[in-house]
Amino acid sequence: MERLYIVCYDVRDQRRWRKLYKAMHGYGEWLQLSVFQCRLDAVRKLRLEDAVSRIVKQDEDHVLIMDLGPAESVQVKVKSIGGSFEPVRNDAVVV
Amino acid sequence: MTDLPLIPVRMLNEHVYCPRLAYLMWVQGEFQHNEFTVDGAIKHRRVDRPGGKLPEQPSQAADDETRIHARSVTLSSDELGLIAKMDLVEGEGAVVAPVDYKRGKRPHKAASGVYEPEQIQVCAQGLLLEEHGYSCPEGVVYFVASRERVRVPLDEELRTRTRNAMTELRRNAASGCIPAPLEDSPKCPRCSLAGICLPDEVRFLSRTPVQPRPIFAARDAAKPLYVQTQRAYVRKDGEVLVVEQEKEQVAKARLAEVSQVALFGSAALTTPALHECLRREIPVTWLSYGGWFIGHTVTVGRRNVETRTHQYRASFDDGRCLDLARRLVAGKIVNSRTLLRRNWRGTDDDASAPRELLTALREDMRHAGRAPSLAVLLGVEGAAANRYFQNFQNMLREASDDLGFDFSTRNRRPPKDPVNALLSFAYAMLTREWTMALSSVGLDPYRGFYHQPRFGRPALALDMMEPFRPLVADSVVLTVINNGEIRPEDFISAAGGCNLKDAGRKKFIQAFERRLQQEITHPIFKYRINYRQLFEVQSRLLVRWLGDEIPTYPVFMTR
Repeated sequence: MERLYIVCYDVRDQRRWRKLYKAMHGYGEWLQLSVFQCRLDAVRKLRLEDAVSRIVKQDEDHVLIMDLGPAESVQVKVKSIGGSFEPVRNDAVVV
Repeated sequence: MTDLPLIPVRMLNEHVYCPRLAYLMWVQGEFQHNEFTVDGAIKHRRVDRPGGKLPEQPSQAADDETRIHARSVTLSSDELGLIAKMDLVEGEGAVVAPVDYKRGKRPHKAASGVYEPEQIQVCAQGLLLEEHGYSCPEGVVYFVASRERVRVPLDEELRTRTRNAMTELRRNAASGCIPAPLEDSPKCPRCSLAGICLPDEVRFLSRTPVQPRPIFAARDAAKPLYVQTQRAYVRKDGEVLVVEQEKEQVAKARLAEVSQVALFGSAALTTPALHECLRREIPVTWLSYGGWFIGHTVTVGRRNVETRTHQYRASFDDGRCLDLARRLVAGKIVNSRTLLRRNWRGTDDDASAPRELLTALREDMRHAGRAPSLAVLLGVEGAAANRYFQNFQNMLREASDDLGFDFSTRNRRPPKDPVNALLSFAYAMLTREWTMALSSVGLDPYRGFYHQPRFGRPALALDMMEPFRPLVADSVVLTVINNGEIRPEDFISAAGGCNLKDAGRKKFIQAFERRLQQEITHPIFKYRINYRQLFEVQSRLLVRWLGDEIPTYPVFMTR
């Protein structure tokens, strides 16, 4: 079962910030500065938490992983001003 | 017996948990992660960092109180036939205790605070330490989640149980015969190998009349990446595969969410991207523009030799070949008949498929089930296919309609009209999907039972896909035509053949993918599952049939 998550972070050091930004692309869609939207199953969630906790310094940085609910059924109520918001999907990519 | 390799102590734990699990992992080399094993691996990484040293020889002085605190200690003993990597060994002087880390909480159900597999595991570690001269009156299990240490006294009774478990595991491994699955056990749904072992399905098909639990359906959902645009270029950027065309990014796919990569025609993949795919066990298939399967790049291959041995052995047995071939062909005829019955587009006063046709196909099915030889079976299959394709047009939207197509006979190499082009492409896609499913469970897709091996032809994939030709391939062709998703202008005719253009092919792949994602109720097991998962279940059931664990291979037939 996949769930939707919002991951946002405050990282005090530019190098760690870059590193985390790059790693986050493996788990979700970039939404805004330091905010990602992710659709994860239990295994990928564990891997994300592991990757994040290996990059950040826990006494300086702060990362929030917010669970929005089951990806298939949740109705995310979002007011989006000056841009658009689409819940991230997990479909086959055909190009 | 003495030729057996040393037993890894971890396997002893698995054996006590479930003898079949230990056999799958140790003897057959199968493994699959789930959330529990991934969590365990992450929690263990910290412990596995070597630190401290275990003295070569224990101190002889009785009053030596040097503290020992050694992490990640590997010890083995030919005498015991054991090898272990211990998370932590601690103690003083010559008296030590092995400490084993477990990811969970201390189980309150177990009277001693530790379940039996863990007791046996630390006891075996203790035996190894004693073999190396230490004295080991007790072991410790540390539960990471509840941060509790539980002491396990290594008494005579536990030592005896440990030795018995070792003997049993060795006997199982030497027998070459996989132990039966546990019966309706609460352990199975949490076991990461349940999808390989198929405990409930195997029990159900061999004797027990208990409906299988939907263990399989809960699997994760990585999706394929198809690249069919010409001059596309796939490269790796961090954790993402990026598809570029004319230096412009046209798509991306997160590696963790990719289950397979299919490259059509001239699409290119960089070496770093290929390495990453291999590292993550993502199969990469190479296809011609027309979707014809050219190659398949995977890691060094499945380690399960027994599966292949069983497959080859059965493929030389005419009786088993005929048995499987009859079932597959009969299944294909039944499924074609069902498709005709469900999709017949008659006139208003006669909307259903002619009874004579359905009866004739039912007869064909009976003949297929009783065919005395593969040659006869081939004839029956041909006759049924003729009957089916003669009536195929009746499932299509009227050709007089702008979006309709004409279809008179099945032709190929090259297909001469749009419907035949779609059918050929759909069969090529299905062959690819089955080749991957079969090779991912450790079977050899090139050694078949019905289709005889010919150069470069994935005979087993062709065998296994027979019942799914109507259900998946033909049904997608009907959908894209009847819904007007693919139109006459999506084709190009040249040199006597007819082919899909790029845009049409893309739409067709999307429709095919939708079909594979569609959930159906398994007619035997009653749980919901999608077609792609079903291909894996059917492949694994074939493995179980080849290994004589179930009496017949259950062909998938819809009602």
